[in-house]
Amino acid sequence: MLDTVIQQLLNAAQLGAVYALIALGYTMVYGTIRLINFAHGDIFMLGGYIGFLLVTAVSGMPLVVMMPLAMLLTALVGMLIERVAYRRLRNAQRMSLVITALGVGIFLENLVRLLVGPQARQLPAQLPNGVVELFNGVVVTEDKILIIFISLALMVILWLFVHRTLMGTAMRAVADNKDAVQLMGINLNMVIAVTFAIGSALAAAGGIFFGQAYSIDPYMGIDLGWKAFIAAVIGGIGSIEGAVLGSFLLAGVEVLTVAYLSSNMKNGIAFGLLILLLLLRPNGIMGRPELKKV
Amino acid sequence: MRQLVWSLVALLALFGVAGCEDKGLAIGVSAPLSGDIAALGQSTRNAVLLAQEEINAKGGIRIGDKLEKITFIIEDDENRPESTATVFQKLINQDRVVAIIGSQSSKCSNAGAPIAESAGIPQLSPWSTNPNVTRGRKYVFRSCFIDPFQGKEVAKFARDTMKARTAAVLYDVASDYNKGIAEVFRDEFARAGGRIVGFETYNTNDKDFSAQLCKIKGANPDILFLPNYFNEVPLQIQQARKLGLTCKVIGSDSWDNPELIKLGGREMEGTYFTNHYSPDVDRPASREFIAKYRKKFNAPVDAAAALTYDSVYILVQAIEKAGKAEPRAIRDAIASTKGFNGATGTISYNGTGDPVKGAVIIRIKNGKFVFDSAVN
Repeated sequence: MLDTVIQQLLNAAQLGAVYALIALGYTMVYGTIRLINFAHGDIFMLGGYIGFLLVTAVSGMPLVVMMPLAMLLTALVGMLIERVAYRRLRNAQRMSLVITALGVGIFLENLVRLLVGPQARQLPAQLPNGVVELFNGVVVTEDKILIIFISLALMVILWLFVHRTLMGTAMRAVADNKDAVQLMGINLNMVIAVTFAIGSALAAAGGIFFGQAYSIDPYMGIDLGWKAFIAAVIGGIGSIEGAVLGSFLLAGVEVLTVAYLSSNMKNGIAFGLLILLLLLRPNGIMGRPELKKV
Repeated sequence: MRQLVWSLVALLALFGVAGCEDKGLAIGVSAPLSGDIAALGQSTRNAVLLAQEEINAKGGIRIGDKLEKITFIIEDDENRPESTATVFQKLINQDRVVAIIGSQSSKCSNAGAPIAESAGIPQLSPWSTNPNVTRGRKYVFRSCFIDPFQGKEVAKFARDTMKARTAAVLYDVASDYNKGIAEVFRDEFARAGGRIVGFETYNTNDKDFSAQLCKIKGANPDILFLPNYFNEVPLQIQQARKLGLTCKVIGSDSWDNPELIKLGGREMEGTYFTNHYSPDVDRPASREFIAKYRKKFNAPVDAAAALTYDSVYILVQAIEKAGKAEPRAIRDAIASTKGFNGATGTISYNGTGDPVKGAVIIRIKNGKFVFDSAVN
């Protein structure tokens, strides 16, 4: 009995780690420019594909080289998208920006479909994937443990960056008050570009892990993007700790519903609970109510 | 502004001219050229193009006493029901096709069928095995067997040949085909004296099945039935094995595509599935089709390609028999097709849209689909 619970919690942890890597991008971008970047799920997909193309182009490229490189390239794409599609709309109506983001997402999906093809691909397994028996029939694959720990490490690095560096302080300042920040001589464009870069790089890490554990296809970002977005909202959109918490919570509720209630009701129960949670805490678990200046 | 208007006028004129070009008899095809089972859409397109080339090389299709060229208008339904409905509307109302081949997955054929039925345009689906597709419809046909038959055969095979006493099923609850055959299997396996110990679901596009598989592992079944599409099955087997689920695995005709082996690799070894035909069964019509297909596309032949090819020729034969390119006459001619000798077997219709056909059981051995046995 206990072993099944632990096994299921490990399953949830892996799923939660991937959700969290995507949710962080949503929450960071929202925190700085109040944009729900609906293209973010597709940036996650693109990260997986960039990783896939790198390994295919240079066979035998180790993960320690491929992953940072793919994260860097995806970060550049993220910055490019912000520069080309979002920057000029920053002060336009909120809705124009959201629609543009949806458009960027559809563009990325179809671009990858045309360039690489619509079939699902699997990233060559680069993480060790032997099976470890923890105790008494509870098995876990090595890649699962690594995915959970590397994701957590990336989240810790992000937290340190945001709270312990000058750039991180600038990002928090932008989140607080975009206009005042410019009066203080902070380069707003630069801070926003860095936010997109970091969010995209984390999504790329998520995409690569996802490709290692499952498979990649041009449309994989749609459903996962929604899940991660919802996780960010539960956690309190704009809050980094909240996004991580929300992701593990969502994954936990999903997995435990399947395990102890019914797989048929997975989404119904998971999202029902989330609605309930948002009714009780409309700003999410860690979210702060937005102050309206009159 | 004026420039813009003029260029629009010019553009419309261009399309207008292109649209007027005589292409002969138009037949619609609705296929999943993109989306999750796009690999199967490619086989569909290949089979249609092969048949079109052959027919037109002979001068076209004989209607009455003159030959007419044939054009297949192949549209992408993305394997999504809502897109399929749009494709059917477009083919019927804009392209004025006399018949439609497609779609492939049951959920899509089911979305197109009411449109074809109410417009009185014959629809012939190559690969949709869910019984509801043709049920109560006069203009909807298929060229494959149906799931009540297939599900029964899989259950019998699991029970009698594989000697399974207990079975578990994991299936996509959001897809007509998967859900239909999973339920048939559940009932038939129990009827054959077996016990279903796990009946778990997921939703299309889910990629993590570990929670469901973990639960199935706890029930310790002798056999796991995965009636899902070839793009998802490899992930399910890999995750099952990683979780330490070691039981035998069987599947159904939705497995048949080279992608299954490409994605699943070694993990697919030793599994079995039911299929429409096997290239190993030596029938002249199959052999001829496979040789032509391989020569032209240099690709392995899946059942969807063979069934699509058969569907095209059933339709062509019916049009020739009807003697006129009129939907109602074509419908009647398809319904009275008897003993059509196709690549996937002999096809006859007995008053419904479902032909009487046998099935084969395929075993995966050394990365290849090998013929195991035939059932009728």
